[in-house]
Amino acid sequence: MVATVRRAVLWVPDWPVVAAMAAAGVGVDAPAAVLHGRGMVAVSAAARAAGVRRGMRKRHAQRACPELTILPHDEGRDAREFEAVAAAAERVVSGVEISRPGLLMIPANGAARFHGSEDALAEALVTGVADDAAYESCVGVADGLLAAIAAARASVLVPAGASRDFLAPYGVGTLALAAMERLQRVAVEDLVSVLVRLGLGTLGDFTALPLSDVIARFGAVGAWAHRIARGEDVAPPVLRRSEDDIAVEYVFEEPAQRVEQFALVAAFIAEQLDAALLASGVRCGRVRITARTEKGDVLERVWRTDVGVRAGAFAKHMADRVRWQLEGWLSGTATGPEPAPLVSLALTAEDVVLLGSEQAYLWGGASGSDAKAHRSLERVQGLLGVEGVLSVREQGGRSPRDRVQALPWGQEGQTPRSLGHPWPGRIPEPAPATVFATAEPLAVLDAGGRPVVVDRRLGISAPPTWVRRQADPRDGLARAVHRHPSSGHVGGSEGPVWGAARPVEAWAGPWPVSERWWAEDGSRRAYVQIALREGEGELGLAVLAAFTAGGWVLEAIYD
Amino acid sequence: MSVVPAEASRGDRLSAARAALKGAEERLSTTRLAWDAPRLPLAESLAPVLPDGLRRGQVVAVTGSTSLMLALAGEASRAGSWTSMIGMPHAGILAAAGRGVDLTRLALVPHPGIHAAAVVGACIDGMDVVLLGPRLAMSDADRRRVMAKAREGGSVLIVAGSWPGAHAVLEVKGVRWGGLGAGDGRLRHRELTVAIEGRARGAVKMVTIAVDVDRQWRGSPNKEGLSGGVAKAGAGESWTRPSMGTS
Repeated sequence: MVATVRRAVLWVPDWPVVAAMAAAGVGVDAPAAVLHGRGMVAVSAAARAAGVRRGMRKRHAQRACPELTILPHDEGRDAREFEAVAAAAERVVSGVEISRPGLLMIPANGAARFHGSEDALAEALVTGVADDAAYESCVGVADGLLAAIAAARASVLVPAGASRDFLAPYGVGTLALAAMERLQRVAVEDLVSVLVRLGLGTLGDFTALPLSDVIARFGAVGAWAHRIARGEDVAPPVLRRSEDDIAVEYVFEEPAQRVEQFALVAAFIAEQLDAALLASGVRCGRVRITARTEKGDVLERVWRTDVGVRAGAFAKHMADRVRWQLEGWLSGTATGPEPAPLVSLALTAEDVVLLGSEQAYLWGGASGSDAKAHRSLERVQGLLGVEGVLSVREQGGRSPRDRVQALPWGQEGQTPRSLGHPWPGRIPEPAPATVFATAEPLAVLDAGGRPVVVDRRLGISAPPTWVRRQADPRDGLARAVHRHPSSGHVGGSEGPVWGAARPVEAWAGPWPVSERWWAEDGSRRAYVQIALREGEGELGLAVLAAFTAGGWVLEAIYD
Repeated sequence: MSVVPAEASRGDRLSAARAALKGAEERLSTTRLAWDAPRLPLAESLAPVLPDGLRRGQVVAVTGSTSLMLALAGEASRAGSWTSMIGMPHAGILAAAGRGVDLTRLALVPHPGIHAAAVVGACIDGMDVVLLGPRLAMSDADRRRVMAKAREGGSVLIVAGSWPGAHAVLEVKGVRWGGLGAGDGRLRHRELTVAIEGRARGAVKMVTIAVDVDRQWRGSPNKEGLSGGVAKAGAGESWTRPSMGTS
């Protein structure tokens, strides 16, 4: 049982559209609506006056109001914009619960005492939100969750103990207002439709039923609805407590570009972050390094920190990472914006946990061998730079190369492509053991020595009979043959130096793959697996070749 | 040493004599006790290639097959060993994962450059299995030092190409593929013929092992060529060829 709490609810009407209008810079009194899927999910006051309703199709809405601005649905934006309202409310009272974007819940007892009365609290809230966040809002106070929401929509203060009577005349459809999640709302809407068909039109009718019968007929949803319709609570409010990020920043007095300067600053701010973490008694699992350049570019990377095993080394550990990142970026080996002098450097702690409450691995802490391996890899990174050591993971894709994502050791990158998708046209198992980072040119010839071609309709001009790989650059004989006039050109050509032609034993294909044809980086290729015949001290090799842009390339070798 | 009664059977007398000889050898430490180093797990199908198992401190040189290198490392990695690949920029990561290498415990150093010896040394300190690519910038003295370090630290080095003083030298002499036809089928089954040489071994031994096994494929790679295998397979089984893919 949960004690019923006296709550104040702050409600901003039509929040999704209000937030979208603010984000899109549309005037407050313009007709606008948010479209999601096939219908409108929220409608501004002006649009409503013109006859646009929630759930209307786009076509109908535009017929009702031709000057209607239609805005896209974005839950992230709704939540983000509402942060400003929550912050404004927090200046009036301490501790609010964001039930959903558009609806704030505040335990009213203490706050009303502080402001003198519930009237004064409501007034302070409305004024505070209007002044600081520039949004119109309604405030209501009542016992229990549903009564408080209904009171806010009506902008009334329901006296203590009167919630049940206050709710009684409302229709059962009101129950859906207290459902905060989509799944819960679907369940409640089902319940409401059954209640209406049973002839229970108002909450008063519903609460007149004995609770045991409601549970027997409707189960948990029924019990929840019965309870909140009586003006009681199902859960105490979950108050959020705003905490600032633990972050340190160093602003260069003059834009800096020399690595030596960075090394000093890196050590300095890493120590500062360590001290800041220690001061708040927390530890972090990741650190975000942000560097801003003179040109306004931002270079940002996230690093994992396994400082659990060696807390004392944190500052040095982070300083190394900052230095490596900046060195790699300045030397142009790492990807990122164009190198330019830096104006500021910041470290932000993420995944913050209280000291002593870190999540260990499932099977105990980081084992000795893990720590040993990490240490040795850090030594190698110190030797070769941060990009010298890579970690790899599997991701979705079709060619063997696309199916692997490599990242500098210890760095977090963008999420890999999903493995769960079907990826039709994927090269079948077994995977090749040698995959070239960039495909090599290859000559695939038919029995007459002419290049084999795959046409647009995926017909192969002739069965592949000979394959010539590029010759080893140290192979003087192949180079001499290449220069010889009998090769068809005098004085050599720009083209690749081919090695000896080797006969094909068996082949399969072509397997067409057309990827991202709508984008700039699209590719069309036809894959062929070719097994070469053994002989003359050469192994019977199997290769994966691809025909693309009019020529053959060697993608991988099954060696 | 016990006195064997004269009436004991021949077998008993032989075993008693062997036990006495073993005791004497151990006392004089003529056997290589170093070879009793603990082993890392090895896939069963590879047992013919390394009859002694994958002993810690060993160097295995493999010529002619990256797959064989990955397969040797796979089972140990699955069992929790850390693995690093040094100087192998083109190693197929999917193939490694398919052979059991745990990618969360795999580190790649694709281009060690002039620091090769130092990088290998650092990795041997922290990792159980270290795979080295061909053409690393390491002198023979570097290699000897690395070997001594591996023996001390108990890591296994699996090396592509030749390595002076390797404990086992595996050279792939023949590859036989199954499943590919004349324009149809796909690569499905592979057998390697491996010549095994070792420091503690006399003659070269040839062993044939299957490295890629497709259980649904019922053909067999044969001498007449791959197409024969496909013809057999084509009758009994159906697999769809990869369809036109668009993402």
